[in-house]
Amino acid sequence: MTMPPMLDCDSVMRQLWDFLDGELDADRINAIQDHLKMCERCHPHAEFERTFLRALAQARREPANPGGLAARVRNALRERGFSPA
Amino acid sequence: MPPAPRDDARFEREALCWLPDVSRFALSLTRDDTEADDLVQDTYLIAYEHWGQYVPGSQCRAWLFTICRNHFYRSRIRAERQVPTEAPEMEALAAAAVHSGARAEGLDDVFERSEVMDAIEAAIAELPAPFRDVVVLVDVNDHTYDTASAVLGVPIGTVRSRLFRARRLLQEQLIDHARDAGIRRAERTPPTGERQ
Repeated sequence: MTMPPMLDCDSVMRQLWDFLDGELDADRINAIQDHLKMCERCHPHAEFERTFLRALAQARREPANPGGLAARVRNALRERGFSPA
Repeated sequence: MPPAPRDDARFEREALCWLPDVSRFALSLTRDDTEADDLVQDTYLIAYEHWGQYVPGSQCRAWLFTICRNHFYRSRIRAERQVPTEAPEMEALAAAAVHSGARAEGLDDVFERSEVMDAIEAAIAELPAPFRDVVVLVDVNDHTYDTASAVLGVPIGTVRSRLFRARRLLQEQLIDHARDAGIRRAERTPPTGERQ
């Protein structure tokens, strides 16, 4: 059995966003994880980007009154003839 | 001949179940609760009107998001501009340079600082529309590249290019914000009793 080639830093950097977004296949994810564990250059960069993505995710806002909105939408639909039952 | 009856039970089952997701997406676009509620209602009325065009079994959520986004931009008369982007891998490499610069200035914890967190929503809103859309879908609302591709009607390669460029623009803008605000690396607070 042959070992898969180790990734170099340049390859990891090029694929980092895809990796952090969970858009790579399992083999590629494992290879990048292995590289990040041992690379003093790439690891801090990956953590920097991970923190950035967490910060962006916190910009997500939840609707103030989801129940009221659902009722409003259903009423508007009924006025157009919507009758699911 | 009367028009064919709409399948309201299927609309209930396949479209209305996504109302919370559509609401969050609308809120990300409008950044205003009242405007978002209007946008959600209009989205569902349009979807109901055109329910016959929906292909059963396809991505109903993506279809609703597309309606929502198109209606949002139509109401604002903001056409999508063509935007030049680098190859996605080049953008990813450029992000590494942004980090190096931040670290050199003592700003490697910049995205953990509350002053910067507070500026993120405004920074996203200031992005050009094609970049903002993809950030709102993937980064804020946690959708895959595939869903973003379906909603925006562009290839996945374009989603990646725009997303990676948008992230770099956001990082540069937020680091500028931190610099302007005089933020530097947080000083370590010594434990009680420790001499400085």
